[in-house]
Amino acid sequence: MSKAQEFEPKIVAYVCNWCTYLGADLAGTARLEYPPNVRIIRLPCSGRIDFNLIIKALEVGADGVLVSGCHPGDCHYTAGNYHARRRWILFRELLDTLGVDLRRIEFSWISAAEGRKWQQVVTEFTDQMRKLGPYKELYATGAFPDVPAPETALNGTRSFAAQSELREVCHKLLAEGTVKVVIGYGARGPVVATRPEDAERLVWNNRCFSNLTAYLKRKEIKALGKAAVIVKPCDEKSLVELEKEAQFVRKDAHVIGMACEGVGQPKCAHCTARTPRFADVTLGVAAGPEPQSSPSPDRFAALMAMPPAERMAFWTEEFNRCVKCYACRQVCPMCYCERCIVDKNRPIAIDPAPSTKGNFAWQIARAFHLAGRCVGCGECSRACPAGIDLALLNISLHIAAQKNFGYEAGADPKAEPLIGSYTLQDTEDFIL
Amino acid sequence: VSEIISQSALRALAAEWIAGGKSVAGPARVKPDLVLYRALRSGDDLLLEGFQRPSNSIKEFLFPKAEKLYGYKIRGNSIELIENDSPEPAQVIIAARPCDAAALPILDHVFNWDFQDEFYNRRRAATTVITLACSAHDENCFCTSVELDPGSERGSDAILFELGDGQYELRCVTEKGRALFDGKTEKSERTAKAIPGPERKFDAQAVRAFVTTHFEDAFWKEHALTCIGCGTCAFSCPACHCFDIVDAGPAAGNARVKTWDSCQFSTFTAHASGHNPRPVQPARQRQRILHKFAIYPEKFGEILCTGCGNCARNCPVGLGVLSVATEINHG
Repeated sequence: MSKAQEFEPKIVAYVCNWCTYLGADLAGTARLEYPPNVRIIRLPCSGRIDFNLIIKALEVGADGVLVSGCHPGDCHYTAGNYHARRRWILFRELLDTLGVDLRRIEFSWISAAEGRKWQQVVTEFTDQMRKLGPYKELYATGAFPDVPAPETALNGTRSFAAQSELREVCHKLLAEGTVKVVIGYGARGPVVATRPEDAERLVWNNRCFSNLTAYLKRKEIKALGKAAVIVKPCDEKSLVELEKEAQFVRKDAHVIGMACEGVGQPKCAHCTARTPRFADVTLGVAAGPEPQSSPSPDRFAALMAMPPAERMAFWTEEFNRCVKCYACRQVCPMCYCERCIVDKNRPIAIDPAPSTKGNFAWQIARAFHLAGRCVGCGECSRACPAGIDLALLNISLHIAAQKNFGYEAGADPKAEPLIGSYTLQDTEDFIL
Repeated sequence: VSEIISQSALRALAAEWIAGGKSVAGPARVKPDLVLYRALRSGDDLLLEGFQRPSNSIKEFLFPKAEKLYGYKIRGNSIELIENDSPEPAQVIIAARPCDAAALPILDHVFNWDFQDEFYNRRRAATTVITLACSAHDENCFCTSVELDPGSERGSDAILFELGDGQYELRCVTEKGRALFDGKTEKSERTAKAIPGPERKFDAQAVRAFVTTHFEDAFWKEHALTCIGCGTCAFSCPACHCFDIVDAGPAAGNARVKTWDSCQFSTFTAHASGHNPRPVQPARQRQRILHKFAIYPEKFGEILCTGCGNCARNCPVGLGVLSVATEINHG
């Protein structure tokens, strides 16, 4: 092969302004030689290196991405790099679940004095990219084994005994004016009851799927006045996280907890509680013992048993069906941004078209914005009209949060939110 | 005398079309509980029974969820446009539901009204639609309430009727349909019985009368309270056709792209100034019903809905045209 045809990788390096950028500068002034394949993009702090930037680099054709900032303890903004470290730990797990080749994304701490380390990291990373060749596998199609589909809920409707008591309680709340509105379940879907007689439309059965706490954020509902919301123990967890994020004021709502008999798979695959913990009133009788910890569903294990290339082929096929209806976002109680990143168009952050890249970018952003926040209600998977098992991505991050930080979203109201906090002891084994 | 074709012959024919270089799309099972219209890889891919109707619609084969209008290259201060005028390959949609096919004349009007949409027209001209009449209906079906029925030929080039025992009666509606089946069928004395449709569930004229006179009405506020504002109804609707035009940057290969849009999105009518003429969900729900039962009919003389029920089947919170229309009708 002639010299001209040899593959030279394109590498994008996102570096912080204060340490790594100066380290690279030092390498230059010290006349240290390293491969010219790297395109440096300087950001104020490693804490500012948004995960979307990493995805963007790969989208536009980078073969490798290098991310680097100040060593722990050295951050010029005190803690930006600690926040970054925590996010990178989680983000890598998400990328792994998607089948992204992790060898192509390198993280490092390089100080302003470490010109030599910069030279070494860039040289070694470039060599590795040369060996790996162009990143053609990104979002590639291909064969993959079957992932068991989530079991579908039973078709029949089975009413639970607490239904009549629930109606009585809600009738009373509305009649006495304790609340102005009750957000509950009706025969076809959610019902917003505002008159005492509306309580007759409420049901409690095995088809009460929705996580009704998602309605608390809606302007139209807020305008009605104090609300009572009916929650299953799994849905109740979102209130814990919403309260931590100052999106929900406990005393402004009346929480009616339903001891749960199960609404069927796949939602119940993540069950960690059958009895509500914080409700103002709890109705019904839980079926079976309280589960101890959330099992990781078979379908996630089946996905992770595949080699990365097959996982990527799996997701490519799934995401190619995405029509960007945003049902996944709209049903989610934790998606409450006034303007979602995918709707921002000045400039466009994520390709709004339902293209392969646009769909990956959107689903990665959705999943990662829910890292340490998703309580596993499974509504995203249920709502998807294209049958994409989106909850698998959230499960991946849920497991990563548990494994690395012992954090479970929605469990402990006193625990600091996972993203937005850090400890000096956060450990990883991949940052150079 | 009628023409009949067996299921196996139909599959063989589909395989023949695929082998001949045509794109063939039809219902296929994607997951245990999900049937979608999609490009078929083989005749065996085609799913003909055991489901009510696919969760999506055939519109995506004529009006894709993302269509490149043209590409561009930026060189210094100049921009070079690259037209996308490649001819569309011949396409056959097989076993479409009558409620899908009936939506095509609706789309024809709108894409050829004040502007001829060359992309749509090109695909439309290259497409032949073979419909399979419905032999069953479910609680979400309401074609009979919008002037259609389970054996409606509207929008079809040919239509198949189930005879049982793996045989179909074929009725060719257009020359295009005839051309595909010439010499492929057998003569028979058997003809399909008329298929009973779902009972009429609401009066479309009464819905129209209501929506045109109740623009400001508490009904919308109450009805829309549980709508979460996603685009599932519009995107799985065979007749909804709103689109957006976006500039997909370098990651997408520098192109201007036409994408589906939905009137249920808060950004659908958002102005650059920040003002939004439809600021809340009730206004958006009203728009959807108003467009289907009054605005479109006023312009083109027919209802912008074929009664397929996909909106209700796919809605994460159990809404849909049927529930609104029946509520309007029956109070």
